[in-house]
Amino acid sequence: MLYSSQAVAKPYFIAAIALFVGQILFGLIIGLQYVVGDFLFPILPFNVARMVHTHLLIVWLLLGFMGAAYFIVPEEADKELHSPKLAILLFWVFLIMVVLTLLGYLLVSYATLANLTGNRFWPTMGREYLEQPTISKLVLLIVAIGFVYNIGMTIFQGRKTVINLVLLTGLIGLAVLFLFAFYNPDNVVLGKYYRWWTIHLWFECVWLLIMAALLAFVLMKITGVARELIDKWLYVITAAVLMTGILGTGHHYYWIGTPEYWQWWGSIFSAIEPIPFFVLTVFAFTMVNIRCCEHPNKAATLWALGTAVVAFLGAGVLGFLQALAPINYYTHGTQITSAHAHLAFFGAYAMVVLTMISYAMPMLRGRAAANSHRSQVLEKWSFWLMTVSMTFIALLITTAGTLQVYWQRFVAEPLPFMAVQEKLVVFYWMREVAGLIFLIGLVVYVISFFVGGEDKGETSAGVN
Amino acid sequence: MDQVVQKPAEIPGYTLAITAESLYLLNLLAIPGLAFLILLWLFFKYENSSPLLGACHLRQTFSASIWAGVLLLLVNGVIFAVGGYQTPYTWVIAVLYFTICHTTLVLLGLLGLAKAIAGQSFHYPLIGPTC
Repeated sequence: MLYSSQAVAKPYFIAAIALFVGQILFGLIIGLQYVVGDFLFPILPFNVARMVHTHLLIVWLLLGFMGAAYFIVPEEADKELHSPKLAILLFWVFLIMVVLTLLGYLLVSYATLANLTGNRFWPTMGREYLEQPTISKLVLLIVAIGFVYNIGMTIFQGRKTVINLVLLTGLIGLAVLFLFAFYNPDNVVLGKYYRWWTIHLWFECVWLLIMAALLAFVLMKITGVARELIDKWLYVITAAVLMTGILGTGHHYYWIGTPEYWQWWGSIFSAIEPIPFFVLTVFAFTMVNIRCCEHPNKAATLWALGTAVVAFLGAGVLGFLQALAPINYYTHGTQITSAHAHLAFFGAYAMVVLTMISYAMPMLRGRAAANSHRSQVLEKWSFWLMTVSMTFIALLITTAGTLQVYWQRFVAEPLPFMAVQEKLVVFYWMREVAGLIFLIGLVVYVISFFVGGEDKGETSAGVN
Repeated sequence: MDQVVQKPAEIPGYTLAITAESLYLLNLLAIPGLAFLILLWLFFKYENSSPLLGACHLRQTFSASIWAGVLLLLVNGVIFAVGGYQTPYTWVIAVLYFTICHTTLVLLGLLGLAKAIAGQSFHYPLIGPTC
C-alpha cells in the first residue's frame, strides 16, 4: 500500500461483506418461501424479504465500489486522498441510512414507512430497486456527491491515468443517473421510461465502466503488464460499453407503452451488448497469458479471471437469450429474467468487488502483498463453491423459466400463474440447495480472512 | 524492476493465429457458414506452409468448427426429432443444451483468441487435434 489514506477503504469492504452475507440470508428466505409459501408469514412476507434482498444487493455493491475507488485512486493519482475524514464521515452516514432503511422495511408496513418518511410530499417509493424512502434516496445522493467530489479532487490534483478517468466517468454517471430516481410522474409509462435511466444505465452502462476500471487496475497489478497495453484495452471496452449500453435501454421499452420502434432499436443494440463482456474476457486472459503468475496473490488472479468469464455468461449470454423483442414477448418477467439477473449481478459486480477485496485486503491488514497460502487455498475454495452454485442457480431457474414460458404463454390453453408455479417446485427446491452451497462458499470466504500463516511478500509484478 | 516489453506480434504466424481464432468466433456468433468457408480456405492454403503458431491455431479452429457444427446442429436436430416440438421438456433440453454447448464453444474460442493475441499456442480440449 503506497498511501496511508488508502486505509479508508477497509471499513467500506468490511461493511460490504457483512451486507453481502445479509443479502444471501434473505435470498435463502425468499427461495424457501417459493416452496413453503407461509414460511415466516406474517412476520416477514415475501415482498418485504425480496425488497431487503435487492436493497442489500445494491448497497453492498455501492460500498464495495466506494471502497475500491478509495483504494485505487490515491495510488493511481500518485497522491494522498483529498479528504480521508470526509470518506470516513460519508461511510457512517451511508451505513446509518442503510440500517435505518432496513429497519423501516422490517419493522413497519411499507405504507406506514411511506407515511412516516413523508413520501406524500415527494413520492419516489414503490418501484422495483427504487423502493427506498425519498429521504434515504436523498442521503444516498448526498453521499454520492461527496464521494465523487473527494475522488474527483484527488484525481484533479494528482496524476490522471486512464484507469482513474474511466473510473471517475463511471462514478459521475452513477451519481448523475441516480437523479432520475427522484422523478416519478403520475403517467405510469413515463415513470417506467425514466426509471430505466437509473436502473438500466446503472447496471448495463456506468457500473460496467467502474467494473472495467477495477478489473484493469487489479490485472495491471497482478500481472505487471505495461500500463500502455492495459490502457488500450480499457479504451476499447469503454467505447463498447457506451455504444451498446445506452441504446440497449430499449429492451426495457418493448411492452410498457412506448412507441413500437423501440422493439427494433432495443433488439439491435441489445444483441450487441455482449460485446464489452466478450472483449473483457479476452482482455483478462490475454493479460494473464502475457505475464502470468508472478504476483503472490493467486486468489485475486482467480477472482479477476472468474469475473470476466461469469460476467460474460450471466450478463452477455443469459442477457442475449431474452434480449430480442420476439423472444422477450414470451420470456418477459419470467424466471428466465431472474436467471439472467442472478448470474449477471454475481459475475459482473459481486465478483469484481470480491476481486478488489481479495487484492487490497491483505495490504489493508498490514500484510506485504497477499494472504498466507492456507488462507488463499480457502479463498479459492470459496470462489469455486460460490461460482459453481450460482451457475447452477442460473441454470435451474432457466429450466424453470423455459417451462414457465411454455405452460403459461406458449400453449394454446395457457395455465394460470400459480398452477405453473406448483409444477416448478422441484426446480425451486434444487435452487434452494444451490443457494445453501453458495452461503457455505461465502462463509468460507469470510473465514479465509481469519486464517493465519506466513503472508506472501511483494514480487516484481505491480510496478506500474 | 525493469519493465518487460512484450512483443508477441513479432512471433511468426501471429496474424494468421488471430485471424483463425476470430473466424472461429465469427462462425459461432455473427456470420455462421461464411466465416467457416473463409476458415476452410485459409486451412487448405496455409496449413502446411505457415509458421508453427499460425498452423497450430488454424488446425485447432478448423477442427473445433467442424465439431461445433456437429454438436450444435446435429445434436439439436436429434433432440427435436426424438422429442417433437410439442413437448415442454424437449424445449428445456434444447434450450439448456444449446446454451451450455454454444457458450462453452464460444468460451474456448475466447481463450484461444487470448492465447493467439499473447503469441501462444492453444489446444481445444477434446475437440482439437495436437499441434
